[in-house]
Amino acid sequence: MFEDPRDYQIGFLATFLGLGIMTRDWSIKPELIFTLVSTCCLTQLVLTSLSKPTENPFPALKSALITSLGLALLLRADRVSTMILAGVLAIASKFIFTANGKHWFNPANFGIIIALILTPDAWISPGQWGDDWWYLLLFIGMGGIVLKRVGRGDTSVAFFATYALLEVSRNIWLGWTWDVSVHKLMSGSLLLFTLFMITDPRSIPNDRSARIIWSISIAGLAFILRNYFYINEAIFIALFTISPLTILFDKLWLAPRFDWKSIQLSGSKT
Amino acid sequence: MILACVTQAIAFCGFYVGGADAKLFNKASQVVIARNGDRTILTMANDFQGAVKDFAMIVPVPVAIKREQVHVGKRSTIDKLDAFSQPRLVEYFDPDPCAPVMSDRMEQSASMPRSAAPQQSKIKSKADLGVTVEDRFKVKEYEIVILSAKESNGLETWLRRSGYNIPKGASELLSPYIKQKLKFFVAKIDIEELNKTGSKILRPIQIAYSSPKFMLPIRLGMINSRGEQDLVIYMLSPKGQVELTNYRTVKVPTGNAIPEYVKSEFGSFYKATFQKVYEREQKKVAFLEYAWNVSNCDPCASEPPTSTELKDAGVFWEDNGESMPTNSSIRRRSMSSGNTFITRIHVRYTRDKFPEDLMFQETGNQENFQGRYVMNHPFKGDFTCDAGKKYQQTLRPRLEKEASNLANLTGWSIRDINSKIDFPNAPQKSDTNNQFWKNIWNDK
Repeated sequence: MFEDPRDYQIGFLATFLGLGIMTRDWSIKPELIFTLVSTCCLTQLVLTSLSKPTENPFPALKSALITSLGLALLLRADRVSTMILAGVLAIASKFIFTANGKHWFNPANFGIIIALILTPDAWISPGQWGDDWWYLLLFIGMGGIVLKRVGRGDTSVAFFATYALLEVSRNIWLGWTWDVSVHKLMSGSLLLFTLFMITDPRSIPNDRSARIIWSISIAGLAFILRNYFYINEAIFIALFTISPLTILFDKLWLAPRFDWKSIQLSGSKT
Repeated sequence: MILACVTQAIAFCGFYVGGADAKLFNKASQVVIARNGDRTILTMANDFQGAVKDFAMIVPVPVAIKREQVHVGKRSTIDKLDAFSQPRLVEYFDPDPCAPVMSDRMEQSASMPRSAAPQQSKIKSKADLGVTVEDRFKVKEYEIVILSAKESNGLETWLRRSGYNIPKGASELLSPYIKQKLKFFVAKIDIEELNKTGSKILRPIQIAYSSPKFMLPIRLGMINSRGEQDLVIYMLSPKGQVELTNYRTVKVPTGNAIPEYVKSEFGSFYKATFQKVYEREQKKVAFLEYAWNVSNCDPCASEPPTSTELKDAGVFWEDNGESMPTNSSIRRRSMSSGNTFITRIHVRYTRDKFPEDLMFQETGNQENFQGRYVMNHPFKGDFTCDAGKKYQQTLRPRLEKEASNLANLTGWSIRDINSKIDFPNAPQKSDTNNQFWKNIWNDK
């Protein structure tokens, strides 16, 4: 049924959002979700029609929707204007920072960082998911499907394994008990990031070894920012910082560029 | 009657309340953290119950603290914040349905309890064992030693030899803090000084420091793991709400209409409500009880803190303060300039559910929230007019709803609740619609 793997992603992100709102009493408000979705879609339509007047702008809306759902899940803000800013810049980043059809930044990540830097009222809530096991299963299960569909699960694995290894080693060195490590790694936000943000094929390196090095660097940087600079948004800043290296990595490791369509053509069996 | 305030939300959390019976939550500690950027003033209030000579506390702090960074505060400041931010009961009076008038409204908050007693261990001083005494000084009734250590066994031994009764297993817990290069703020009481103050109550101790680490070490407090411990944190920030980053922060239930008899037992009501919600959240979340700009409130559980009281609580950014001209005709209070947002977080923690220390972040979230419960007093009197009869008919279902709200919130038995409610004893009209037979078989 879902020929385009993006449909899966949309379905999953929307499910998470629904679950979060219903069971986690988040501070995210419906009007902000609506703002994000409409801003992202509108920006996408306008910019596509401007940059490629001959192309049908509507298929690209799926990507815009994914970006807006990602933002809704992760970004919190007090004002509608902040969400508009995040949405517009997230999508615009795809048109501005682009090379060879690849993006320098993951659009949702770009939107988050820009909102955090430019506005006083944006924040992210790393604690919001809690550490319930069933969420973990749900995340991994559903994320796994998406990854298979998209075929780039290696970034998630490399990132998470590295990050977990660093955190666990540090905790052992500090002398904390195991439950401290487990509690740290069970964070819903971390998993969401691992499964959905760092896997976006348009903003990660094409070649496999490049991707793995890239993911490991993000994990390492995130770990340092988190534990030595006490930055709560460490993973997002790490991705933001390392992400533009994708362009460089693609030059160093030549490999076929990702194209959503090639996946679609290869059929869809789940 | 409608909700003058309150951000509707699904919520949770809780903390002290209580008419007569203060001390609702024993073993509770109260902490005020005033923070702007990296600058922090931490106020710890102790509700220490034992003999004062046995009192000692050890708190890991991110940087070495000097004499001038320590201050002894006023107990009343914390009581003020507590009273201001406590979960509240609001009451409304139904108007006489037969006398068309303005509604009369009155608010009242249940009085509040108090609490306090952060991490405690036992300490004294002397000797040396890879332990460096960074500083040693007295501030009012407190004798303070700032320690840094190379390894935990040394520190434990040092503390023991110095006469502090460190519980077993302490070194294991001290070790992570040592490795993270934290210092230890160790305080005990100089009884003579305390006697001079004429008070038996320990005043809160305040520490000012600058550090990106925004956390509260709770693990040490669990060494002698006495089961569940309550901690109420008042976060003061110029930015907005403060939330935990490594646990969920959940709102306490709010806005529920409850029966009028609860007024006299609001304390046990809130205690039960908190317990219920605590269990529902599997005992592993922090609860938000209040979040509001301190310059106003609606309804107010107590007058908002003045700028002086805020300063006492550690607010250092409001200073050049708009102490409002003491225009006595208006009121003599110097208001806060509106730059301070208070977040009241209630954590009930145990070793198994809270393995990590509490980590926080300031957010730009300016959303107001309060734990608030509503009581509507039915109008009592004769109902001569039609409106009065109608009113009586709607009253019973309303009271039933309130009873079931109460049962849901507290887990109390609905039968007990019903037995305490004064249901309108006019049997005639109440259920006429459903009980059609009553129209003809009026009695039995």
